[in-house]
Amino acid sequence: MAFTLYSLLQAALLCVNAIGLLHEERFLKNIGWGTDQGIGGFGEEPGVKSQLMNLIRSVRTVMRVLYGLVMKKSNIYIL
Amino acid sequence: MPGLASKRRTPASPPGMADPHQLFDDTSSAQHRGYGAQRAPGGLGYPSSSASPQASFMADPVSSMAVAYGSTLAAQGKELVDKNIDRFIPVTKLKYYFAVDTVYVGKKLGLLVFPYLHQDWEVQYQQDTPVAPRFDVNAPDLYIPAMAFITYILVAGLALGTQDRFSPDLLGLQASSALAWLTLEVLAILLSLYLVTVNTDLTTIDLVAFLGYKYVGMIGGVLMGLLFGKTGYYLVLGWCCVSIFVFMIRTLRLKILAEAAAEGVPVRGARNQLRMYLTMAVAAAQPLLMYWLTFHLVR
Repeated sequence: MAFTLYSLLQAALLCVNAIGLLHEERFLKNIGWGTDQGIGGFGEEPGVKSQLMNLIRSVRTVMRVLYGLVMKKSNIYIL
Repeated sequence: MPGLASKRRTPASPPGMADPHQLFDDTSSAQHRGYGAQRAPGGLGYPSSSASPQASFMADPVSSMAVAYGSTLAAQGKELVDKNIDRFIPVTKLKYYFAVDTVYVGKKLGLLVFPYLHQDWEVQYQQDTPVAPRFDVNAPDLYIPAMAFITYILVAGLALGTQDRFSPDLLGLQASSALAWLTLEVLAILLSLYLVTVNTDLTTIDLVAFLGYKYVGMIGGVLMGLLFGKTGYYLVLGWCCVSIFVFMIRTLRLKILAEAAAEGVPVRGARNQLRMYLTMAVAAAQPLLMYWLTFHLVR
């Protein structure tokens, strides 16, 4: 029964990392999950799929900023 | 008519309420009088035996100035802390959830165990704010979940102790585990609410309150398991699982589903169907977690 808060934190971190790995151009566009493909109706109903795509895009954006900070701090320049 | 207010508001205030926005009884005046008398220099109100050393200490002008300066500093520090703590922990919002009294707690516990006869599940509003829990049994509160959580940990320790499996770090592990499951549930439900784009007034603290109500059933189950063995545990846990399921469905239906569906009229449509599935999933997760968190305590 070793499900502690720390393991929850680890799992959350790994999940966020996994979402950040999904490349927009190489991968998401090919399976139809790119965010510029989903802006169809501007009605009231965004739908689950477009919400999910927006979520993935925002997580990637936030992660890019954080990753950039961490990399600059440790003097490694990737991206 | 589509333009009318979507929430049912009770215009008249519930009986027995003096000030609508006052959550607790005001006892500050009596306290102030007591403090004011004690702070007066010269030891007013102190027993006469210690009057003379107090008087001589206070009569010295330097030390009386020091006392005054110290009290101003303390007051300033308190102000600073009060001003800043509201930024991190919404203290005023939290106070609302703890404005309970014994009658409310009794009625709510009864409702948690036997929700089948209760008719009206809507929270009463007053001037755009929901009424404090002490005046409406449908309002969520944090007192029962907090107390139930702590009691659950104590009962878990008791159960482990009767089976010679107890050690102090196991207690911490139980607490951490239950808290982690609660956090996971809250995050999962918030995520699903975001994905289904539900416009609801269900705040995070409300959600924590609703999800904390299952600890009551868990405590009942484990205690019965301690007294009557596995049959007692399964009976009581089964009963509490069904009650919590019904309770959650009836409460969340009003918060998540559209207003028309809440009135009892079944509304078709893909969006409402998704919301109904979400409500049922949240309610179904409660019995599962109740079983998962307690079955290893009853042998």
